[in-house]
Amino acid sequence: MIYSLNGHEIAELFERIKKDFETYGTIDVQGDVIFSKIEKYHELKIARSDKPPKEFLIGRNENVLTLPEPSKKAVFGVMSCDLKGFYIMDRQIYGKDPFYTIKRENTIFVNYVCTEPCKTGFCSAFGGPLMDDYQIQVVNYEKDKYVVYVNDKYDSYFKGFKQASNDEISKVENLMKRFNEKQEKHNVEGIENRIKWNSKLWDKYAKICIQCGACNYSCPTCYCFDLNDVGDERIREWDSCILAGFTRTSAGNPRENLSSRLRQRFYHKFVYYKKSRGVYLCTGCNRCTDDCPVDIEIKEVIDHDYDSE
Amino acid sequence: MAQISVCPYCGTGCQIVVPEKNEPFFVSGYNASPVNNGKLCIKGYTGLSYSFSKDRLRYPLLKNNEEFVRISWDDAIEIVADRLLKIREKYGPDAVAFQSSAKCTNEENYLMQKMARVFGTNNIDHCARSCHSPTALGLINTLGTGAATGSIRSLEGTHTFFIIGSNTTEQHPIIGSKIISEVRKGKKLIVADPRKIKLAEMADIHMQFRPGTDVALLNSLMYVIITEKLYDQEFIDNRTEGFEELREEVMKYDPLITSEITGIEPDLVYEAARIYATNRPSAIFYAMGITQHIHGTENVMNVSNLALITGNLGRYGSGIFPLRGQNNVQGSSDMGALSEFYPGYVRWDSDRIQKFSKLWNSSLPTKRGLTLSEMFDKAADGEIKAIYLMGENPLITEANIARVEEGIDNLEFFVVQDIFMTLTAAKADLVLPAASSLEKEGTFTNTERRIQRIFPVYDPPGEAKPDWWILNKVGSKMNLWKEYEGPEEIFNEIREAIYNYSGATYENIYPIGKQWPINKENPEGTEILHTKSFPLGRGKLIPIKFNPPSESVDGEYNLIMTTGRNYFHWHSGTMTRLSQILEREAPEPYVEISNEDARERNIRNGQVVHVVSRHGEIMIKARVTNLVPKGVVFIPFHYKESRVNLLVGENLDPISRIPEFKVVAVKVIP
Repeated sequence: MIYSLNGHEIAELFERIKKDFETYGTIDVQGDVIFSKIEKYHELKIARSDKPPKEFLIGRNENVLTLPEPSKKAVFGVMSCDLKGFYIMDRQIYGKDPFYTIKRENTIFVNYVCTEPCKTGFCSAFGGPLMDDYQIQVVNYEKDKYVVYVNDKYDSYFKGFKQASNDEISKVENLMKRFNEKQEKHNVEGIENRIKWNSKLWDKYAKICIQCGACNYSCPTCYCFDLNDVGDERIREWDSCILAGFTRTSAGNPRENLSSRLRQRFYHKFVYYKKSRGVYLCTGCNRCTDDCPVDIEIKEVIDHDYDSE
Repeated sequence: MAQISVCPYCGTGCQIVVPEKNEPFFVSGYNASPVNNGKLCIKGYTGLSYSFSKDRLRYPLLKNNEEFVRISWDDAIEIVADRLLKIREKYGPDAVAFQSSAKCTNEENYLMQKMARVFGTNNIDHCARSCHSPTALGLINTLGTGAATGSIRSLEGTHTFFIIGSNTTEQHPIIGSKIISEVRKGKKLIVADPRKIKLAEMADIHMQFRPGTDVALLNSLMYVIITEKLYDQEFIDNRTEGFEELREEVMKYDPLITSEITGIEPDLVYEAARIYATNRPSAIFYAMGITQHIHGTENVMNVSNLALITGNLGRYGSGIFPLRGQNNVQGSSDMGALSEFYPGYVRWDSDRIQKFSKLWNSSLPTKRGLTLSEMFDKAADGEIKAIYLMGENPLITEANIARVEEGIDNLEFFVVQDIFMTLTAAKADLVLPAASSLEKEGTFTNTERRIQRIFPVYDPPGEAKPDWWILNKVGSKMNLWKEYEGPEEIFNEIREAIYNYSGATYENIYPIGKQWPINKENPEGTEILHTKSFPLGRGKLIPIKFNPPSESVDGEYNLIMTTGRNYFHWHSGTMTRLSQILEREAPEPYVEISNEDARERNIRNGQVVHVVSRHGEIMIKARVTNLVPKGVVFIPFHYKESRVNLLVGENLDPISRIPEFKVVAVKVIP
């Protein structure tokens, strides 16, 4: 269902959800935006968080020897590009990774749809900020006016709120159309066929990459991890495919040099996942570039003229 | 609520955002920080897990028949105070030595040195001795201030980067990445390093000179600058003194002659000199490659000479950047945790120490204090009876560790305050469990002189306590001071002690720190030093004569070994080696050896070899690589499995007493 709410009603919605869920949201910490537990809707700062919400479903470090009791969480203020990461990951790990799955099933993400392109994102290349898959999706299309798209599962929280009119819905649709026109264009379609194994890009990046791991840690779709037994726990920790140890084996390393590891990251995103799971492993959030200390541009990987090489 | 804090690793001092106690632990960079603009390196992202390690020390431990037993804090503090006072009574205050830590806050370092001095001795020192003591002494001699002259932000204005003896992308990755970004915009990059470091790959010029020949190389660069008149005459006339004397010495270093010493083609030296002198503003970056030599202080002064004659000081984008290894080595040195300096670099033998006598309401010691390596030496000789050590692990990091061990074994009383049971702590009579930097309040001062705050986000494990808390209790138990209420009160005393800190308050250095000098004249702090004049008035040009390093190769010891760190680990590894990811990346010690040298000796990649110096021997795996040139081998010092410092002799710089970690003659045997 699609509802039409005002600011007061959104706050009311928060209170209703809070009865069943622990509530989290983006807050301002000295100018940075981070996820934190919140008790009141007005604590929420609607702005993209400085890191992705990934850790709500995949702990930075978590013990995977025993499945924890699920805790029900509702996370407000997730941006669409970040939420999309989970829907993309679902294709690979939902139902297979029990730790991810149990959290996925017990967490509501309330995503907010951008109405103006941000400085660096290129989500339009992947369909733009209005998502087809969502739990509760909020579009603040005019001051104090919200169109809220609701998955049937959560309809009960909207009792008494009025449905959005066709007029309101078309306003949102127009807004989205304008958004997609306005945003800088990057044509990702078909990159799986264009991209080149021997492209000079990989060496160019290897020369400057300092292997900080930021592109992996900040990515809303990177889900790779490492496992270590530490004392009586088996710790699963976020990993980075930029590091040599990621693929080192007793028989050597298939990706010994940095250039091949950087290439692997982009091939996983734009070739392998597309071919095996049907979608690109990228949402156009541009976080990997924003957080990269040496400005390796994912957009360059997309736009690069491989044929001329 | 999440907190802004500071990464505990290198001197860059990246600001981090730490989630609150019950949230999933994931550190990210603080976007508003002028230091790192939200970026971090792999150590920042994955290296902080040590704080939650099950191996953390939880309780004060007293050694009883070779076994540690848990005791209460009251007893622990009583024991420290009692034993130290008794030793003072019996042997005098100079029989006790205090070792502070560049990993601890300004407040803690201040308390530690105050404890030593009010106790009655100048025997206070810390690991800055082994890294940047030549910087403090050298730059104070030539300019008047021993610190980086510009800011990290000001590198945007730099036109030429000259890196000598710093593997910046691995040891100060965020500064290194800043240099990479600037060079990609077309700025010039000159690298002087015996190893083929990452920055060398993208450099306009890489001078792969022989370890220990820095003075000859720098003099040759100045030879070119002077003979081709590329110097800044106006700057030399108005801002410096001693140019004629410098010219006279430098003219002996024709690149044609020095190429025999340094191994560098004269053409390369000419080209580098021209770029550095003319494509201004130019900035020099150096680290241990300059300082860890018997002529470390002279090296620093020669770096200063080069910057002075080309007018590369006091302007945005120019300057000298000694890159600090530890997150607070600038601060711990500022605080006077060095035997020859009181807070604010007041020399122990100057009249100005009266100020501290008044401030601390105490008489002050009149004898010169011992430096780090001397403390262990004198302990071995029986003159030092007790050492109170905070947050260091000398049994891995010091030179000539066999002697260090002898010294420690000879002590009557040895207290170690740490967050882990390190190799060194295991030798202590009493171990005091400390809080990590995520568990305490205080300030750190980074490599660009920026004073930044940290906050207690987590509770320390067990009964562990912040270092300032422990020092505070011990000091008051010994009647050295009245107990402080907390770090802010200590900081306010620091502001009285050090004029350059006087304008900083806990409020105005949050969330973004401020760069000292911050005082009445500079209420907002100071981004660029020496814009109008030097603290000394004029910058001093001091001619430096080349002398060979302490060790040289001969028929038997035919390779030069240089030591250092790798990207993934930190010093003795007590913190980084607990991070699963970092440990996976660099799990074991190795010696880098060139293809040619390996072939000559029939050494395969991965083979275990013996590395033998005139001082000791270790076994270690060979890593055959083209990163080092023929004739040079490199070993990182992180690993307790093969402690490379067993090979390093105790050859000290006569001025700063830093050991020569960078030049050791060795042989490598399969």
